[in-house]
Amino acid sequence: MTAGFQGRCWRFGDDLASDQLIPPQHVFEYDPAVLRRHLLAEVRPELPERAKPGDVLVTGRNFANGSHHSHPFLAMKEMGVGLICQTVSRGPFRLAVFVGVPLLVAGPEVIAELNDGDALQVDFAAGRIANETTGREFQVEPLSPFLQDIVAAGGGLNHARALLEAEGSAHAER
Amino acid sequence: MFPSTPATMAEKILARTSGRERVEPGEIVWATPDLVTTPEVSFPAYVARLRQNGIHRFAKPERVVVAIDHEVPVHSKEGAERNRRTRLLARETGVGHLFDGEGITHPLVVERGLVRPLDFVAAADTHTPSLGGVGALGVPFSIELTMILALGRIWVKVPETVRVEITGRCPPGVTARDLVLATMAEVDADLANYRVIEFGGAAVEALTVPERMTLCGLCIDMGAKSAVAEVDERCAAFLAARGVFGVEPVRADPGCRYAAVVTIDASSLTPRVSVPPNPTHVRAVSELADTAIQHAYIGSCASGTLAELTAAADLLNGRTVHPDVQMLVIPATKRIYQQAMETGVLARLSAAGAMIAPPTCGPCFGGLAQLAAGEARISTSTRNDPGRMGSRDAIIYLGSALTVTASAIAGRIADPRDYLPAHTRETAP
Repeated sequence: MTAGFQGRCWRFGDDLASDQLIPPQHVFEYDPAVLRRHLLAEVRPELPERAKPGDVLVTGRNFANGSHHSHPFLAMKEMGVGLICQTVSRGPFRLAVFVGVPLLVAGPEVIAELNDGDALQVDFAAGRIANETTGREFQVEPLSPFLQDIVAAGGGLNHARALLEAEGSAHAER
Repeated sequence: MFPSTPATMAEKILARTSGRERVEPGEIVWATPDLVTTPEVSFPAYVARLRQNGIHRFAKPERVVVAIDHEVPVHSKEGAERNRRTRLLARETGVGHLFDGEGITHPLVVERGLVRPLDFVAAADTHTPSLGGVGALGVPFSIELTMILALGRIWVKVPETVRVEITGRCPPGVTARDLVLATMAEVDADLANYRVIEFGGAAVEALTVPERMTLCGLCIDMGAKSAVAEVDERCAAFLAARGVFGVEPVRADPGCRYAAVVTIDASSLTPRVSVPPNPTHVRAVSELADTAIQHAYIGSCASGTLAELTAAADLLNGRTVHPDVQMLVIPATKRIYQQAMETGVLARLSAAGAMIAPPTCGPCFGGLAQLAAGEARISTSTRNDPGRMGSRDAIIYLGSALTVTASAIAGRIADPRDYLPAHTRETAP
């Protein structure tokens, strides 16, 4: 998984719903370049314009609850941002891995020390979070190496193709 | 051999399908599903996505079931094109089974003898946990089904299990639906999340297999990963009648670890109903008396069984559907439709004023018989989110086939116990 993320902290609270991440009227849109323009636009209108690769979205409990759509994660991957959540349920957790968005789950004591606008340095592979603005550092449990491989491959289907090619299988044809 | 570590039903299933002696909750394993199911609304899109990624073959096509069940009979040009693509792609990819209008996937694969106890089934559709009724672990994977089709396996985080022990016996008028709604009151989303619900106890043993499927299938709506019931002689006999032989009873091992154990006494329960905005908002039917409804629906993968259609016809017992109510009945599979026709159940329901439609998921997700703003329906289907069956300003209540039938007679939400014959009714064998 991409180790070095260096960028701005975009801080959000608890219960950020899937439909708030990308409004449901865009459910038939699958172009990541279009979807990224809608990511969190209703919650933080400046985010789609200003977020840069290496930035990190930091959220409270129950991230991306509700509808089970891959759209917000496609937009995040296109943007090149990472994700640190206090809690995230099975559906969005799996979607983040499947789409290939780097993810850490951190306790409330860590989340409380990450403020909107802080400069962060995050090593997703090692689970290290450095807040350069406050000078504080945190260690959390990284994704298992197994899931990091999927994220590093760029998501589930890229990973599947790589596995099939490695196995010399005729299943994958370019 | 040392005695193996005591395992829950889910741990047994994931150990077997990941080729391991045992698995521990929290660890991640590659598991190989015994069966992979997808409806026509997903299948062509999944194949297209795989091909975009350079993947043109399925790893284990013989284990794949494709079912045309969401829009039957097709009633849109888009649906017609989707079905044409589905039939074509099912042939091209060589899937094991294409069911074309034969019924709703989850009850259908059990009816056709494609699921055994301790199987791991990966599905595109959400309500696959109903396969827990035959002791299988059905897990929904949505878009990740593409990866399963490509590799024949999928990563799974071994879940903890919550044991729900239902003791006693359901009083007359109380059904499997009421048991699962009672379970929702005890197991909230925080307790259910990423966990499997395991059912056991005298009241579960007294349920028929289709009733156990209702019990397990609706657990997804309390936030669980899946649900599974223990396997007994009754389940073995049910499966033998569908060509699945040699089934032995399976229980969780004594001393296995649970995240929580919840005990519910069925004898104390009364009929209950889910109110908006989602199925976990449960009230006693008596609290909703005099709530007017204009629509009543019996069907979906969580209902529409021969026993429920028969029970509805028996409860009507010469009465008719209220003149202000549209009652719709959809047998879950074509075989159930045929059996209900042969036994006269459909004729009795039709004579009472119900409309009968061919097997489909249709109304459950708003694909058929949509509701207008201000209308209310009581339904045996799976979810009642605003907008699920048409207008966001329509109201959906969920209850058992008995509660839906009593309400259809009354024109308002009604307690089925007020309509039961005087003598006590026993659960059908």
